[in-house]
Amino acid sequence: MRARLSSLFDALLPVLATLAALAVGAVMLLFLGVNPIEAYAAMWDGAFGSGNSFAETLVKATPLLLVALGICISFRGDVINIGGEGQMIIGAILATWIGLTLTDWPGWLVITFCLLAGFVGGAVWGGIPGLLKAYFNVNEILSTVMMNAIAVQLMNFLLRGPMIDPSQAQLASKIPQTARLIEAFQLPRLAPTRLHMGALLAVALAFLVYVLLWRTTWGYRIRAVGQNPHASRYAGIQVPRYMVLALLLSGAFAGLAGAVQVFGVNYRMITDGSASGFTGSAGFNGIVAALFGQLHPIWSIPASILFGALLVGANKMQRMTQVPSALVIVLNGLVVIFVVSSEIWRRRRQRRRMAAAGHDEAPPPNVDKKPQQAEAGA
Amino acid sequence: MDSNTIIIGLAGVLVAAAPLLFAVIGETISERAGVTNLSMNGTILLSAMGGFAVAVSTDSILLGFLTGAGIGAAVALIVAVSSITLKQSQVAVGFVLALVTRDLSYFLGNPFMGLEGPRLPAWNIPLLADIPVLGPLLFQHDLMTYLSYLLVFLAWLWVFRTRPGLMLQGIGERPAAAFVRGANVNLLRYAYTVLGGALVGLAGPLYSLSVKAGWKGTISGLDGIGWIALSITIFGGWNPARAAFGAYLFALLQWLGLVLQPSMPGVPSQVLQVAPFPLMILTLLLVNIGDAEWVERTLAAMPEGTRRFFTKLLRAMRASPPAALGVPFESD
Repeated sequence: MRARLSSLFDALLPVLATLAALAVGAVMLLFLGVNPIEAYAAMWDGAFGSGNSFAETLVKATPLLLVALGICISFRGDVINIGGEGQMIIGAILATWIGLTLTDWPGWLVITFCLLAGFVGGAVWGGIPGLLKAYFNVNEILSTVMMNAIAVQLMNFLLRGPMIDPSQAQLASKIPQTARLIEAFQLPRLAPTRLHMGALLAVALAFLVYVLLWRTTWGYRIRAVGQNPHASRYAGIQVPRYMVLALLLSGAFAGLAGAVQVFGVNYRMITDGSASGFTGSAGFNGIVAALFGQLHPIWSIPASILFGALLVGANKMQRMTQVPSALVIVLNGLVVIFVVSSEIWRRRRQRRRMAAAGHDEAPPPNVDKKPQQAEAGA
Repeated sequence: MDSNTIIIGLAGVLVAAAPLLFAVIGETISERAGVTNLSMNGTILLSAMGGFAVAVSTDSILLGFLTGAGIGAAVALIVAVSSITLKQSQVAVGFVLALVTRDLSYFLGNPFMGLEGPRLPAWNIPLLADIPVLGPLLFQHDLMTYLSYLLVFLAWLWVFRTRPGLMLQGIGERPAAAFVRGANVNLLRYAYTVLGGALVGLAGPLYSLSVKAGWKGTISGLDGIGWIALSITIFGGWNPARAAFGAYLFALLQWLGLVLQPSMPGVPSQVLQVAPFPLMILTLLLVNIGDAEWVERTLAAMPEGTRRFFTKLLRAMRASPPAALGVPFESD
């Protein structure tokens, strides 16, 4: 009974952490002279108030979920992928380029082809740091961050030059954007809102990733390598190969998220010079959503929706109550810190429980320090 | 290119490397103590913005730099509390802080966008500035650039040649042993993390009040510098002198890129903007390649002479981190 309560508590921990962060935010709102209940009501209304706002939340949640699925794979393999932003961009570029080139092909074929292209583009961008980590010991946190910077500059170059919208090229303004995809290539909408097929695709893929991680040899090996690379090596697993695979798949899902953003929401690529201008920071926030969902693909679905709601709702709250948008930024940061911290706390509790129960196989006390040591070994 | 242009160019490299030196030395010190401050990229942005805002509002450059150092120290304190006291993952907290501080700097900096601000004045060191070649190269800059030379030397001296420096190495390498020798490991870690953060924080105003004067929001060209500084710290093998070498090398490469651009008209400007990143990946690769398994295997298969040469080369490039980096210390 106690054990069951304990595991229920663990499952609810991210939610509790979110509530705690919102409570801290409420104190800050009070200091700003804003009624926190009113502010949070506006937030709720913005995220779930009407069919339309809920659809917006889901639209926001879709790229988060896709990125989060990749993060589930890589973090389970103990590879830290911070490169979601860059992988989204590369996936989107490749998909957009094909979508703008093959204009006389049938729509469904092009869409399939382009989403695959996004998958492949992201896989390449994630695979490079994977290879660097597996065969050259280059720390993946740093290399994925650098790959982000490279991707942004590549996007800026392409959207200002070779891929610029022909009609913009003639104007003096020269807005750095591509031409618009023709209607046949846009992902079908699900309702008279902005909600598109990509959301369903993401949910379907969540189940697929679950099967991959827990019902296939590949997934088993990725998780084994993540749990204990040394033991995996003695068991005959080619550790470097599965490290690459974990990062490659992780990048692929981010790349798909980028393609889905273009084909489902924007119908073109446009840049303001930064990565977040295109991705809306989904490449980073997806990490949070995955941690929120305890690195489980199925749990990542509600986690992404909740986090998407937070983003959409915070916008509304800002408009309604005139709180400075810095507070919204801080609030999001607080949620992230609380959720990530609670996850680490949960793991420590779990370890202590296992130790108390006298399990000899209790992981050594520094097991969750592995990422840092890997980082240090860069 | 005549010798005069080269001297001016190299002098510019020394100035451009100064903020990097502050950041890299600061990070080196806190990592030596066992704490990774991954927030550096955002910290530099926020302190650049904060320092500029204060300097513009008060017309005091000194206050600007103090603000920068204060912001850096405050962010580092958050990292310290969460990693040393609360024993959280430094990577997670640092990364989140990097994002939050970056967003905050862009948002809070809005009212100060594009304002005309004070600039750190040049100050020639009397006598030394008049030495031919060396004078214009080394001694006709601003105070912070001189301090950056001094900082590298002092940091190196402190870490490797003093008793407290030995203790600093101890708390990063073998905290338990340092504890037995009477060191208050966690207090020292706090102190060095905050000190390192303050140094990182000085890099910000040094950009916004001197090297890249002004605050231009997302186009300030500062986003990404913190990640580069982090790579240089690793490249530097947690040794202040080698880290300084890395920072100067990076500034030199950037300058060469600018100088060479006119002679390569076909190359788009983004290539030069992006060049530092693949270069940093390459340096990380060179620093770590000696640890890779297949390299060891290849080496073993080589003839004696070649193997000895490559082993020596790889050992010279290799950098190993403080053994207890990122591991919380519990005295019981």
